[in-house]
Amino acid sequence: MKPFFAQIERDLLIAWQNRQDLGVVLVFFVIIIALFPLAIGANAPVLDPLGVPVIWIAALLAILAGFDRLFAQDVRDGWLDQIALSQLGLGWYALAKAISHWITAGLPLLIMTPLMAMMLNIPLQQWPPLLVALLIGSMELTLLGVIGAALAEGARRGTALMALLILPLAVPLLIFGTLASQSDRGIISPHLMLLGAVFALLLALAPLVAASALEIGETETGL
Amino acid sequence: MTDHDHKKTARKTAPSTADHRLHIDQLSVLRGMVLVIHNLSHRQSAGDICCLTGPNGAGKSTLLRTIAGRLPAAGGDISCAAPIIYVGHTDGLSGAISGRENLAGWAKINGFSTTETAIDTALSSFATSRFADLPVRVLSRGQRRRLALARLALSPADSLWLLDEPNAGLDQASSRILDDIAQKHAMAGGMVLAATHLDFAAAAKPGSLHLPGLVT
Repeated sequence: MKPFFAQIERDLLIAWQNRQDLGVVLVFFVIIIALFPLAIGANAPVLDPLGVPVIWIAALLAILAGFDRLFAQDVRDGWLDQIALSQLGLGWYALAKAISHWITAGLPLLIMTPLMAMMLNIPLQQWPPLLVALLIGSMELTLLGVIGAALAEGARRGTALMALLILPLAVPLLIFGTLASQSDRGIISPHLMLLGAVFALLLALAPLVAASALEIGETETGL
Repeated sequence: MTDHDHKKTARKTAPSTADHRLHIDQLSVLRGMVLVIHNLSHRQSAGDICCLTGPNGAGKSTLLRTIAGRLPAAGGDISCAAPIIYVGHTDGLSGAISGRENLAGWAKINGFSTTETAIDTALSSFATSRFADLPVRVLSRGQRRRLALARLALSPADSLWLLDEPNAGLDQASSRILDDIAQKHAMAGGMVLAATHLDFAAAAKPGSLHLPGLVT
């Protein structure tokens, strides 16, 4: 397990040195949400039901926007070669990447969410289901993003390709997530359970898919 | 396929011709649609330093990456009964963090010693201590190279070093250090396979493997 945590530690150190990049994701999230009331007008009856979906769409876009260069720097630096030869292996490496990316992009977003919920006038009793669903949802989006970044690695126009690959896959998350967030039967709703099931599936599959994508990408297009 | 066989049964300290730790048999490697390496065979045993020579594009880097398991072989076999340490064209250093953090992270993901003294010794092996705490992005090409090579000091004694142009960008003093370290490693039972245009480990009796490059 030590190599695994060493990779997370390394990514967090690098992220801390480039911390201005973290702000970009957060500001992106806030701006998307702020644009909706501006476009629709301060018309409360129309805005009220839009609050939760708007937060979800903003979270989806903001998390995926932070992904374009997840593996690119490590490939360019030659760090991926070192990983492939190390005890860690590409699968655990991809999982470590997902965790450090969630800590630096997903977690700040989640912390910002209550403020956004207040801004959109979402009733207080809806906050717990929203936050729990968004917690699981943001982790799922991160895992999906890792798959997308690994597949698009080395391709020209990687960012656009990644969005095309990942956004359709994110549709079920968006459906379950928004329904679970608006549940009127407490936090543990059937939709949250489905969201959890998708998370379990992604947690098992995403590192494997990302690892083989990185392996193939390297051998087909490498130096 | 490369067989990262970490068996340590046949460890010997003295060079021996019977005990081949690296076997390459009839290896062929494709890059794109071009056959870069064709029917290459090579043997190396503990204590051997081997220089890999040949013109640009002859497949030196390709061979090293194939041995490291980073490229698939189109045909033939590679087996290596030693841990592999690879220092390629790219240094494997992140520009955002310091050389010391880079080296410690590398040691951790490989499960090597990460004590303060081990890292300090490795850093001083290539005289990098003076700039080891600066972010790597402010360092020169040669300084990065020295930090990348400082890894070698942390590697196990019986490991195979795959070095791709190790002394490109190094000053004379550092090149001599590299020669020195490579010879000590070979004396301790390690192996070195280095692709280089420049003199390397000149004082030793390096074997050499010449890739002629394909005439098509």
